[in-house]
Amino acid sequence: MKTSPSTEEASMPVIAPEIVSERGKADARRHRQKQRDAIRKQLPHIIAEESIITGKRDRIIKIPVKNMQIPEFKHGQSKKGKTGGLGQGKGGKGDIIGKRSVPGKTGGKDGKPGSEPGVDYIETEIEIAELIEFMMEDLGLPRLEEKQVRKIVVEAGWRVHGTAHTGPQVLRNNKKTVQEGIKRFWFMLEMLHKETGRAKVTCFYALREADGIIPDALRLLENLEFAHPEGMTEEDIAPFPIIHPDDERYHRLERKTAQKSQAVVFAMMDVSGSMTDEKKYYARSLLFWLTEFLRRIYEHVDIRFIIHHTIAKIVAEEDFFRTGESGGTFCYTAYEMVNSLIESDYPLSQWNVYAWHFSDGEDFDPARTVAELKKLFEKKINMFGYGEINPEESSYFTAELLDAFKKEFDLKETREGDLKIVASVDDDTPFIGAVIKKKEHILAALKAFLKRDRWQK
Amino acid sequence: MKKQELERLAKMETRILQIAEEEGLTVKETIFEVVPARRMLEAMAYMFPVNFSHWSFGRDYDYHRTIYDHSGAGIPYEQVWNFDVPKALLVETNPFALNVLTMAHVVGHVDFFLRNHYTRHGRSFANIAEEARFAAERFMKYESKYGEEKVEAIIDAGMSLRWHQPHDPLLEEPDDEKAREYKISLIQEKIRYAQRRAKEGNGGAEQSEAAIKALDLELARARSATPPEPVYDILKYVMARSHRLRKWERDILSVIWNQARALAPNARTKMLNEGWATYWHTRIMRRLFGEGLLSAEEHGVFLDFHNKVTQQQKLGLNVYSVGPAIFEYAEDAWNKGRFGREFEECRNPREKAEWDTHAMKGKEKVFQISASYTDHMAVMELFTPEFIHGLELYIYEERLNEEREEVEYIILEKNPEIIRQILMHRHAFLGTPEIVVVNGNYNSHGELYLRHGYDGRELEDTYTRETLRNTFYAWGRPVHLETIVDEKPTLYSYDGKSISVKNDDADEWTGEDDLSILFEL
Repeated sequence: MKTSPSTEEASMPVIAPEIVSERGKADARRHRQKQRDAIRKQLPHIIAEESIITGKRDRIIKIPVKNMQIPEFKHGQSKKGKTGGLGQGKGGKGDIIGKRSVPGKTGGKDGKPGSEPGVDYIETEIEIAELIEFMMEDLGLPRLEEKQVRKIVVEAGWRVHGTAHTGPQVLRNNKKTVQEGIKRFWFMLEMLHKETGRAKVTCFYALREADGIIPDALRLLENLEFAHPEGMTEEDIAPFPIIHPDDERYHRLERKTAQKSQAVVFAMMDVSGSMTDEKKYYARSLLFWLTEFLRRIYEHVDIRFIIHHTIAKIVAEEDFFRTGESGGTFCYTAYEMVNSLIESDYPLSQWNVYAWHFSDGEDFDPARTVAELKKLFEKKINMFGYGEINPEESSYFTAELLDAFKKEFDLKETREGDLKIVASVDDDTPFIGAVIKKKEHILAALKAFLKRDRWQK
Repeated sequence: MKKQELERLAKMETRILQIAEEEGLTVKETIFEVVPARRMLEAMAYMFPVNFSHWSFGRDYDYHRTIYDHSGAGIPYEQVWNFDVPKALLVETNPFALNVLTMAHVVGHVDFFLRNHYTRHGRSFANIAEEARFAAERFMKYESKYGEEKVEAIIDAGMSLRWHQPHDPLLEEPDDEKAREYKISLIQEKIRYAQRRAKEGNGGAEQSEAAIKALDLELARARSATPPEPVYDILKYVMARSHRLRKWERDILSVIWNQARALAPNARTKMLNEGWATYWHTRIMRRLFGEGLLSAEEHGVFLDFHNKVTQQQKLGLNVYSVGPAIFEYAEDAWNKGRFGREFEECRNPREKAEWDTHAMKGKEKVFQISASYTDHMAVMELFTPEFIHGLELYIYEERLNEEREEVEYIILEKNPEIIRQILMHRHAFLGTPEIVVVNGNYNSHGELYLRHGYDGRELEDTYTRETLRNTFYAWGRPVHLETIVDEKPTLYSYDGKSISVKNDDADEWTGEDDLSILFEL
């Protein structure tokens, strides 16, 4: 609309748009990438969210994702926790002018989202699978390289595979058989031609007249006393199959087998009096993610829940986290149970076996526990994970169990941030232990339990 | 857009310009570009017709696009640039009446650009759009040469600091040497004066001697200190004195700095500028309808958009609502003579309420406001208790209702004086905290020392840390920031590896606390 209305069309205000749209998209992608990175940083908080691990698997969860902001010096919110601003409209002091729901707010003390630069909460949907992808990016299960996943051969019916010279009539491979017959035809034709010196087309008519029987054909060719058209050329030869018993071909059947990978997880937990709800929650969170990982790797995963105090018993999943008992602790009872379950239901030739034990470290008979663990290692289980959950800094008992493990097995202590990790040097005794003191340790412990190539030589 | 429609639009433009001229607005040739919605969305995000790549622009583009695509709301309708020849966009798929409204609105903006003291200054950056276009190309080359991450890191750093600008938007701060020269000559002048007084025997010899000694010390400091005077333009200082910037990185920072300087006048006058444009589009449209140039149906479309754009916001201030109200209020008040000493000092509430001298100074006043005010000045002068009350402004607070898993927004305060204070803070220093460079050679090691002018409001901790990281990236040596946390002097330091926060317990800061509610928000 640059000029007066009388302007001709050529100078109408349609100016070719300058192309930035690819840039807009690409820059938007970069921003989303940064958001993803921010989620990744928040993983220790997110994965410990109670709403995630208590719900159904394979559902979509919602996590708040912020728009990234350019960091700037700016005035902060009040220390007294008040946030707000200026607004406009009707209403008097104390009136509620609006509401916003805060779903998934657990009220947990660590439940607050991270406070890195960012406002404008946008609820973004993210699947648990995607969260796991995030974690997977720098994780891998130990002994999960191809050769390490024990694949079990199972029968899965029959399948046709190749051909055979014999077989029942129903499996006759007509196509293959005819092909063989045609081959024989050409072979015979060549032979007749050489033997008799007659033209190939003549040999063809003789062969046809003789129904493919060579002696008859030879006889016919001797005196040519059979009806055959004159003046034909080789191009008029119309091959037909001459099938001898040797030419019969049959479909070959094979037993179909499949390689299937399956794993069993023995989840053991101390439910004695010293295991508080908070400790159990950590155990539950870890266990949830550990099994989620295994489910990505194995086609089939069994989980058996074993609780113990002074005796061990198998329980349903619901009861696993709910049960609380008073009294002392004998860890070996649980290990014993795992040993006998492997013998009865989960032979190592068929199953990949993972055993995870969560306890606060209290054990009245560590020596026997160690002995039972040795038996598990002798059976060549894939991995034994030990989570010592010990949120109280100054516990009144010493972590006898871990000390006992350290004494018996060749273990090395390392640190992942402020998480203490104790792992065996090689996979003869595949032991990984972690001392979990706070929520943020859950992710670090997961990483330790699932570290790729831990025992690679 | 059909040819017919374009022609009609062109006719509307002619009439709008005539009306504008009759109303006393400055009319200037403006390019209206008819574009697809996407193009408009991009222009909104990138600030210029073409600009360099950055994730923050991508974020805004994504944001506008998502709203546009999914909610049908947020029809983009206005983008205008204060270029030498002002340029505005019209969306080809927008209703005709909306495009006419946009034109009438843009005419208001263009007048403001040319009329207002500050935005007029912004026009001295007339080639800023061309610069942005070339910068986009250069930055792309840098990306392929030095890597996208490095380019992004330096852009991030520049953007972190860009809004810390000198108080006077029309003046550049002198560089170190100029400032030093000036300061030294000033001190020398003082010394000469003191010496003269000593000679004349005024004020006692001892006293003069002490004064001269102090001035000598100050002189010595002025000779060596860098910067000699506190510097508000942090980014400019960093560009000039950084220990590590390479040429291409300086180039990137200077583009960002230049754009921020060019946009600052707009940022300082945003509320007035939108207010002025809305004030005028209302009037111009009224006349167009009066003249029968638009149909009744189009009137409906216009009203629909106009009302949507200017509606009050419960949780925030809509400049399209508050902005025009300033002019309406001022026009009315000055028409009735509700200003000046006599009016202010009137203590009879009834008399004051009915005050009307038929001064008819309204038009004059609104043109004066648009010519010489910033938003900050407008708040100071025009946000009287009665105006704030009339606007129905309030302060709200967010409260978590744990039981219902809801955040509730509750009106906390309607006191106009407190509201005015908050608005004044918000419109000062482009909304940034006052932070200055006090030492560019801290620890005699070229470290950067910043000081926050604490006014009762603390800095946001996480943002402070991240900004220091970005500053370090550009500066190349440790950076420090002095501020107040929990009423105690506190020093943030970042050395490239970790942030340390030293909180000095011994020395408690005390300050006025009269408007404490202000700082809780």
